[in-house]
Amino acid sequence: MSPAKRHHQTLGAANPVPAAIGRRDALYRFGNGLGALALSSLLRDDGWSSQALGDASVLAPKPSHQAPRAKSCIFLFMAGAPSQMDTFDPKPKLNQLHGQPVTRVYGSLEKRMYVACPFKFAKHGESGIEVSEVFPKLAGCVDDMAVIRSLHTSVEAHTTATFFMNTGMPIPGSPSLGAWVAYGLGSENENLPGFVVLPDARGGVFGGAMNWSNAYLPTDCQGTLLNPVGPPIVDLQPSGVSPRRQRRNLDLLNDLNEQTLDSNPRNRDLVGRMRQYELAFRMQSAVPDALDIRHESEQTRQLYGMDVPISEPMGRKCLMARRLVERGVRFIQIYCSGWDSHENIAKNHRRCGEETDAPMAGLLTDLKQRGLLDETLVVWGGEFGRTADNSMNFFRTSPGRDHNKQAMICWMAGGGAQGGTVVGATDELGIKSVDQTYHMHDLHATILRQMGLDDMELTYYHSGRFKRLTDLGGEIITEAVHA
Amino acid sequence: MLRFDGLRLWYTMAVGLSFCGMASISFSSEPTEANSAKWPWTRLTAPDVPQVDGVEHPIDAFVRSLMAKQGLEPAPPADAAARLRRIYFGLVGLPPTPQEMSTFLEDPSELAYRERIDQLLADRSYGERWGRHWLDLVRYADTQGGALDYARPHMWRYRDYVVRAFNQDRPYDRFIREQLAGDAFTKYGAEGKIGLAFLHQWVPVERTEPEMPRRDFLNDVVGVTGSVFLGVTLGCARCHDHKYDPIPTEDYYRFEAFFGSLKVSAQPLPFGQYEKPNDEPDAWEKNQAAWAEALEKRKKWQDETMGAFKQRLRDRHALVATADLKDFVADDGSSRLAAAMDEGLLFSPEEQETYELIKRQTARFANPNHRDYFQPSAYLASDSPLKHNIVTHVLSGGSPKLKGDAVSPGYLTAATDQAEDVDLTGQSGPARKLLAEWIASADHPLTARVMVNRIWQYHFGDGLVETPSDFGINGSGTVHTDLLDWLASQFISNGFSIKDMHRLILTSQTYQQSMVHPRAAEFDVLDADNKYLWVRSPLRIEAEVIRDGVLAVSGALNREMGGPPFFPVVDDELMRRAPTWWTPSSVDQRNRRTVYMLQMRSLQLPFVKAFNGPNIDESCPIREVTTVTPQVFALFNSDFMHRQSRVFAERIIREAGPDPALQIDHAYALAFQRQPSTEELERCLGFLHGHEDGARPESTERLADLCLVLLNSNEFVFLN
Repeated sequence: MSPAKRHHQTLGAANPVPAAIGRRDALYRFGNGLGALALSSLLRDDGWSSQALGDASVLAPKPSHQAPRAKSCIFLFMAGAPSQMDTFDPKPKLNQLHGQPVTRVYGSLEKRMYVACPFKFAKHGESGIEVSEVFPKLAGCVDDMAVIRSLHTSVEAHTTATFFMNTGMPIPGSPSLGAWVAYGLGSENENLPGFVVLPDARGGVFGGAMNWSNAYLPTDCQGTLLNPVGPPIVDLQPSGVSPRRQRRNLDLLNDLNEQTLDSNPRNRDLVGRMRQYELAFRMQSAVPDALDIRHESEQTRQLYGMDVPISEPMGRKCLMARRLVERGVRFIQIYCSGWDSHENIAKNHRRCGEETDAPMAGLLTDLKQRGLLDETLVVWGGEFGRTADNSMNFFRTSPGRDHNKQAMICWMAGGGAQGGTVVGATDELGIKSVDQTYHMHDLHATILRQMGLDDMELTYYHSGRFKRLTDLGGEIITEAVHA
Repeated sequence: MLRFDGLRLWYTMAVGLSFCGMASISFSSEPTEANSAKWPWTRLTAPDVPQVDGVEHPIDAFVRSLMAKQGLEPAPPADAAARLRRIYFGLVGLPPTPQEMSTFLEDPSELAYRERIDQLLADRSYGERWGRHWLDLVRYADTQGGALDYARPHMWRYRDYVVRAFNQDRPYDRFIREQLAGDAFTKYGAEGKIGLAFLHQWVPVERTEPEMPRRDFLNDVVGVTGSVFLGVTLGCARCHDHKYDPIPTEDYYRFEAFFGSLKVSAQPLPFGQYEKPNDEPDAWEKNQAAWAEALEKRKKWQDETMGAFKQRLRDRHALVATADLKDFVADDGSSRLAAAMDEGLLFSPEEQETYELIKRQTARFANPNHRDYFQPSAYLASDSPLKHNIVTHVLSGGSPKLKGDAVSPGYLTAATDQAEDVDLTGQSGPARKLLAEWIASADHPLTARVMVNRIWQYHFGDGLVETPSDFGINGSGTVHTDLLDWLASQFISNGFSIKDMHRLILTSQTYQQSMVHPRAAEFDVLDADNKYLWVRSPLRIEAEVIRDGVLAVSGALNREMGGPPFFPVVDDELMRRAPTWWTPSSVDQRNRRTVYMLQMRSLQLPFVKAFNGPNIDESCPIREVTTVTPQVFALFNSDFMHRQSRVFAERIIREAGPDPALQIDHAYALAFQRQPSTEELERCLGFLHGHEDGARPESTERLADLCLVLLNSNEFVFLN
C-alpha cells in the first residue's frame, strides 16, 4: 500500500464510506504526520502546502467528543482476578456456610464446598465503605473511590476474559482500551507515546502482548511496553554508542536524506520519517527521564511502599505511572499478576495485598496532594470475579476460590469518579450481581466517557464495517461518576 | 443511558460466540450504484482493448483511455536504474548487485528489460518473495497462537510448498485445489497434500463450552476461504444475513457444510523429491542424531535438577507435614514446588532462576533443532468417517445453542444465481473437492479477478480494487473494472499462470512510469489518490525486504532455502514474557532470508513488527505502512543493525581498499546501485575525516557508522 495514503485496508476515493468516516479516521487517513520539522525548508516548492499536509499525526492531540473529566487514565490490572468477597464486598453469610457442600456445575457437575472469607472487614472513611484487612492503607482512600460491586463479564477463562477486559472481545485481534484512547485523543507529549504498559516482571498476563495491541488501529496507538526495571524499551539506546556519536550519525542521516528529498515530492513520508528519527532521539532521553525515580525523595518512596521488598515492584510502577501522567501520557496500564486464588485464598490475597496495598494507596494520595487526582482516572480490577465455593481437591488442603463471570469487583478513583460510593450489589453470597448490574462493556463506555470520548462515536472502519470498543453499546455507570 | 437493549439481550445470549457484532449501528453512508455492486459477481468476459493513439500495451490502453477523460496525462517513464530496482525488489525482494545494475545501464533496451524480468522470474528467490505474500494471506505461523502458542512443527513444509509453487509457476487453479482439497485430487500426489495445511492455520483459544473450538475452527476456515480466494467477507453472514453483500446466513452455513466433517491433524507424509531433507539427506540424518543427543542430555539435566528440588521439598515436608499432607506431596510435588519457589525460602535466587528456565524449556517445544521439526509429517485433512453423519445447521447469531434448519453443501447463490444444493450423488471423498473445483473454475466470477488484483497490488502498493479481500459493496470498488476484467481473462486464458501476469504488468508503461510528474501539483487536485494511475505512487519496502536487503548489502545473506525455521535472537526481556524459550540458531542460519524465520504468533520479532509485519492471527491482505519510532529503534539502534553495519564496512574495506572516496563509492554502489553526488561524497568524506569525538577517523567504526546511516536512509526503504 502506498505510504502516501496510509489508510488501513479500506478506503479509496471510489469508496462510498468516506462520508461516514469519523473525524479521527479522517485525520489519520488523510493527514500525514508532519509538523515538527521546518516544512518549508524541507519540502521546498513542491506543490504541497503545509495546510494540505496538515500536522495531524495519529497521536497529535485531538479534541474530545465532550468535556473530559480526566486527562489521563491509570488502569491497575490485577491479573488472575481478585476476589470480591475478600476485598470490597463483605459476605458474612459465607462464614456460616463454610465447609457446607454444594453440588453444581463448574465445568462439569461436581461436589464443592462453600468457603468463608478469611479476612476481617471494617468500615472506613466518612463514607463508611467496608474494606477487608487485605488493604489496610488503601482503605484510607475509600472516600475517593467508587466501588462497583455489581460488575460482571462474559467469559471466565483467564485468556479470553483478559482479552475481554482489555478489548471488549474474548479473542485476540481487537484494539485495546488504551489503544482506543490513544487513537481518540492523541498524546499530549510529543516525546512520549500515548499508551504505555508497565508489565509485571513475573509475567503471568494471559494472552500477553495481544492485550495492549492496536489490532486494526494505526500502529502508533499500540501500547508501548516500558520495562520498569532495566532498559525500558528494546533498543531504545544503541549499545555502546554515546549520545554524541548518535547525534553525529543522525546529522549525517538528515543531510543525506535531504539530498534525495526531491526524488519523490509526492511521498510525504520522506519528511515524516526524518521526523520520527528526531522523535526517537528525543525519546532516548525522555523515556528514561520519565521513568527515572532515583531522585524521588525517600518520603515519596515510602509513600509508595518502595521501602519494603514485597511492595517495591508495584510501588515502582505506580510511581512511574504518576510521572507519566505528569508528562501527559493518556493511558497507563499497570499489570500486577498472581491473583488467581483457586488454592489458599487466605495466603494468596494476603500476599497480593502486601504487594499492592501501599503502592496503590500511595498513588492515590500522591496524585491527590499534587492536585492531579481530579484529572486522572484510576481504575482497579481483574478479568473476572471469584466463586463463593471451591472444588474439593483444593478445599481439603487450603480453600480457595474459582472463576466467576457473574460477579466481579472494580473501583474507580479520581477523574470524575464519585468518591465514597458503592455501586450495585451482589446476592447474599456474592455469587451474582443482582442490583444495578453493569457489564464490562459499561465499564469501557464509562472510562471512555470520563476521558471525553463517546463510545458510540469512537469508531474505526475495518473489515467491512465500523468497529467500536463497545461494539454493542455500553451504558454509562452513572452512579459511579459525577454527572 | 440505555442503548440497544435488544441487541444487548441478543448479545448476552450469543455472548462469547459472535464477535462480528452488528455493523449497521454507526453506518451512514450511501450505497454505491447498483452496477458497481453487482460487477464482481457478474460473469467474466474480456472487454475489448480500447484504441488509444501511440499506445501498444493493452494495460496502458485501458489506463490511458480513462485518464484522458479526466484530463490527466501519464508521467514520463522512470529512469532505467529506478525501473531495474523496481523489478528486483518487486519480483525477488532483493536489491540488484552493482554489476547487475551497470550491465543493465549499458543497455537499458526494452529487450534487455524483458530479459531481466525473465531472469528474475527464473530465480529461486522469486518464490521466496511471492510465497511470503501468500503466507500473509493464509496467516501462516509455525505456532498455533493463543495463550499457550504451542509449536506446529511441521508447518514449514507448507511454507516451502508455497515457495515451490510460486517458483514452479504452478497454475493458480491447481494451487487452490491443493490447498482446499489436496487429499481428494490424487493426481497432485503428496505435494498437493502438503497444501492442506492452509486449512490448519487457525488459532485455538481457551474455551469453556465444548462445542466452541470446533466452531472457531469452522469459522476460521470458512472466513479465510471466502476472503483469500473469493474476496468476500463471508464471516459477516455467520450471525445475520450480510448487511451489504448478497450473502444470506443460509449461504454461510451451506458453505460451511462443505467442511462439516473436516478434521486436520499432523499425519505421516514422507518428504518429497524437492523437499529440503532430500537435498542433503546425510547432513539431515547426522544433524538429527546430534540434536536428539543434545536434547537427551538436556532432558537428563532437567530431570536430575527438578528431582533434587522436589526431594528437598519432600524432606522438609516430611518433618512438618501431617499424614494427610504427606500423601499429597508424595504425589508429584509440582504445584508444591511452584509454590515453594514463589515463596523463595527454601531455594536460592539462582535455583529459582534455574527452575524458571527448566519450566520454560519443558513447557513448550518451540525450540530450534527439536526433532519434531524433522519428522516426516504434515498437516493433512481427513473427513472423519465418524463424522459422515454430521449435519450442518444454520445457527442463530452464530450460537451452537440456537440451531436452525439443517443445510446441505451449496455454493454462494449470488455467484451462481441459484440456491440449489450441490448434487453429491456418486461423489466419493470429501465434499470439499467440489468446493475447490467450483472456486478454481475458469467460470467463477470472483476467483481470477481477486487474484489478478492481488498481483497488481503487490506491484503497485494499491490494488485496482484497494480492498483486495473485499470485493463487496463495502470494498473500495474500482474505476478500472474493464482493465481488471481483461487481466482476469488473460490470467485464465494463460492457464492461470502468475508469472505470465507479472510479464504483462511489468512491461506496461503504467508500471514503468516515474513517481515524479511535471504536473503533479495540478493533477493532485484532480485525483489526489491517484486512482487513475497518472503517476507511480510511493512504495516502501516491507519488513522482510528491509531485513533481507541489509543482509544482501552487507554480504552476509545466506541463500539456503527451505527446511525448519531458524530462530532469531530476541531481546532477553521480551523472551522472558513469551510463553516459550529458545536458543537462537547459529549466525549462519540467522542470516537466511526472513521468510525462513520462526513465525511465532505470540512473539513477533520487534524488527518485523515495527515495520508493519503481518498480524499473523488473521489473514493479512495489505501490509499497513506507518512511520513510527519503533522502526528507528529497530533500524538505527539494534544490535542486529550495528553488527550488519560492521560486516558491511568490512566488506567495503575488503573490496574497495583503504581510499575513503573509493569506499564511499562502493558503499553507494552496494546500497543504492548508484554513484554518490559530489555533495554526498563530500559530506560522507567529512564524516569519515571528522575528529570531533576522538574516534580514529579511518577506523572501521567510523565507516560502520556511515554504513549504518546509509541503511537507514530514505533511499534504502523507499523505491523510486
